[in-house]
Amino acid sequence: MIKNYLPRPYKNIALKLSLLLFLSLFSLTSVQGDTLYEGSDSNLRISSSTLTMNSGDSILLGLEFELNEGWHTYWINPGDAGGEASVEWKLPKGFSASEILWPGPDLIPVEPLMTFGYEDEVTLLSQLSSSSAATFPAIIKAKVSWYTCKDICIPQEGEVSIVIDKGLKKATEDESFLSAAFKKMPKTLPGSVRVEKLDNNYYLQTDIENSNSLQSAYFFPKEYGLISYTQAQNLEINDKNISLEIKPAEVSLEKDTFKGLLRLDRESGSEYFIIDEPLKKQPKTFSVQGVSILTAMVFAFLGGLILNIMPCVFPILSIKILSFVEQSDGSKKKMAQHGLAFSGGVLVTFLSIAGLLLLLKSGGESIGWGYQLQSPLMVSLLIYLFVAIGIVFMSNLVIGSQLSSLGNLATGYKDITGSFFTGVLAVVVASPCTAPFMGSALGVALLQPGFSSIAIFLSLGLGFAAPYLLLSFYPGLLRFLPKPGEWMENLKQFMAFPMWGSALWLTWVLSGQVSTETVLVVLIGALLIGMSLWLFEKTQTAVGFWKKVSTLVSVLLITLAVYIAPTKYEEIATQTTNDESIYSQKNLDLLLASNQRVFLNFTADWCITCKVNEKVALERNAVKKALESKDIKYLKADWTRKDSVIADKLAEYGRTGVPLYLMFPSEGEPIFLPELLTEDMLLNYIDELK
Amino acid sequence: MSRCLFFIFILFFEHLIASVQINEPAPDFTLTDSHGDKISLSGFKGRTVILEWTNHGCPFVARHYDTGNMQEIQKTARNDNAVWISIISSAPGTQGYVSKEKANELTKQRKAFPSNILLDLKGTVGRRYGAKTTPHMYLIDKEGVLRYQGAIDDAGGRGFASKDLSKATNFVKKGLEEIKRNVSISSNTTKPYGCSIKYKSQ
Repeated sequence: MIKNYLPRPYKNIALKLSLLLFLSLFSLTSVQGDTLYEGSDSNLRISSSTLTMNSGDSILLGLEFELNEGWHTYWINPGDAGGEASVEWKLPKGFSASEILWPGPDLIPVEPLMTFGYEDEVTLLSQLSSSSAATFPAIIKAKVSWYTCKDICIPQEGEVSIVIDKGLKKATEDESFLSAAFKKMPKTLPGSVRVEKLDNNYYLQTDIENSNSLQSAYFFPKEYGLISYTQAQNLEINDKNISLEIKPAEVSLEKDTFKGLLRLDRESGSEYFIIDEPLKKQPKTFSVQGVSILTAMVFAFLGGLILNIMPCVFPILSIKILSFVEQSDGSKKKMAQHGLAFSGGVLVTFLSIAGLLLLLKSGGESIGWGYQLQSPLMVSLLIYLFVAIGIVFMSNLVIGSQLSSLGNLATGYKDITGSFFTGVLAVVVASPCTAPFMGSALGVALLQPGFSSIAIFLSLGLGFAAPYLLLSFYPGLLRFLPKPGEWMENLKQFMAFPMWGSALWLTWVLSGQVSTETVLVVLIGALLIGMSLWLFEKTQTAVGFWKKVSTLVSVLLITLAVYIAPTKYEEIATQTTNDESIYSQKNLDLLLASNQRVFLNFTADWCITCKVNEKVALERNAVKKALESKDIKYLKADWTRKDSVIADKLAEYGRTGVPLYLMFPSEGEPIFLPELLTEDMLLNYIDELK
Repeated sequence: MSRCLFFIFILFFEHLIASVQINEPAPDFTLTDSHGDKISLSGFKGRTVILEWTNHGCPFVARHYDTGNMQEIQKTARNDNAVWISIISSAPGTQGYVSKEKANELTKQRKAFPSNILLDLKGTVGRRYGAKTTPHMYLIDKEGVLRYQGAIDDAGGRGFASKDLSKATNFVKKGLEEIKRNVSISSNTTKPYGCSIKYKSQ
């Protein structure tokens, strides 16, 4: 009836007989239980490494389950269905049994579900210890309930017992089997272990010797709601370490630790290792998964629309309005072409940014939205660009289409390529403004697999380009724009001021990234750009040799300006700020550990929204007083420069950009504040904080 | 082009769904009940709905019915005008599969109070909801939003066979009360326990 049951039953019968004999010799009145319980399609037997022990000794007990072919029983985590065995010890005074030791399980798929358990046979172990209070002979009893399952399950309950007498330990026939089973129990890994959650996958990494002999690996989770039971786990074997990609649970629960067993399979057999690694806590209040991708796309589209009225985009908007006014007497077809070219520029740029971000992300770079302005080189080049555009607007300079795309950017409404590059420029300049409106959607975008990211970025681009597309296809709408005339020249000249204003703002951003000397260098670069344009204008009508010389000098001046632009961050003399108010994980942890309420401000100089919020709300006296009176500590995380610590922290809260305002109550999860703050709103939040 | 992308996108998205989301609308379905009537979830808008995946041959389910525990919760729920739907996703020939007549007979015999017993022979509804065990419970509020999924109570795990079910914390009762009081459900997802659902293999 029972498979794999030879020769152990005979041994067992011998044991029982000897036990009977032994008991009768000592004239005990009744036989206390049995070492074997015969259940349905499975048997349970108790065994011991010795039948004699002295007070203070520990011995190994085994609970051996023998299962008929095709039947299984379960591990401590049964997986999708079933249930683990439960053992209730009935011990005489002076004895204690350790927690049950569970051997590593196998995967037992029950399509479409997955369970973890044992087929054929399994031995659960426990260490039995005795104290000086122990009396002998001792009857050790275990009441065990378990499930024997195939496609259906049979619940079982049986009692087994064994008698231990006083004396020196003497190995039984079962001893070698039990100690071998003990040796095969899951161990701790020799190398260091790391668990990370990236791109919505867990990565379990560990250093390992002889990684080349490894065939496969599998992680068995100890608890429900951590990882998917049915999706494949992908193993990457490197020279000295391995990385196992594990999909999170379909229905996931919040977990503090990543607990379970890692099975490593080699030709020589499988070994199990205990994994118990802390997980970074994900706050419940902001769940990226909470926003569906379609919702994110709709928000992205709206966000794109709103971008058109943001201060960052305003200069570009003015270029576009000018171009539309000028074209309003042009042909319909031409208008549509310009509109499409502009939209093309916008979309291509959004896609390139998406591609770049994904590329950087896959390279493990910590990045975030608005990151373009974290590069001093990028900021410097934008300063030059805005200065140049301003000068072009102010002067009578007409830059021919054969010149560089820089010229096209400024006066691009002359041709189709110009429209395209205006689109490109608009996106680059607009990016710092997208973060506050797009926090959630971009969070989804960057944390999603590539395809969804790109869909969201495309929606953002479409929203951004929509008004121009509409205008270019329905030029009738242009009726609402004023007729061309001399005022256009005046308007064009006036538009130089917002351009230069943007340059001023960028200079200030730069001053947070490099030293004042380097800021001066960049301003000199801007001067060189100005000279180059002046020279160019003066020789506009010249021909021949002098024209060539002036062009050469102009190009040299621009090259020089670009050459001297800074590429790296520099130490800057910061004002003496109170160190305690600067964010660091340590600072935050210390404060939270002492149940301190905390207001955490993620900001950056290049984030206009952040600065506006600081002026109209955060730095108001009433707010400062309220924070003080409620004993809320203010922490500031400044992201003006690239900072992976801050980027990681933002990612932890599902964000990729600033601003982000968090209020930590004295206990529990932080509260997310809106990205646009007013004094009253902030005071309300402070007032309600527990 | 963008329309084409959109469709690819939808396909991709559909494929990702392997379970239902808490606090999102519960997916609608239509199945035949034990009286031969077509029953749709959307037909119960305005009433709280309890979905109970069941299999009378499963010892876990049997224990809940033998002790009268399940009937008691059903009674409480239905007295509150909630709809109790028992769903059988066992494929024909597997444990738990019953004919319509047998289903009605079981109800009578066990003195149970389901509003309807639905037969999900192909397992499509069970798979759509990610139902794994019997019992596996889902609570859907009056607006059709899924508010709870998981175990019937906290008696699962070691020693289930000897636990007093009436003393366990019953997540269904608790969830129904919380839905009634219109507060968020304290633990809206728990580990379902019981026998595996005997789905038709695909």
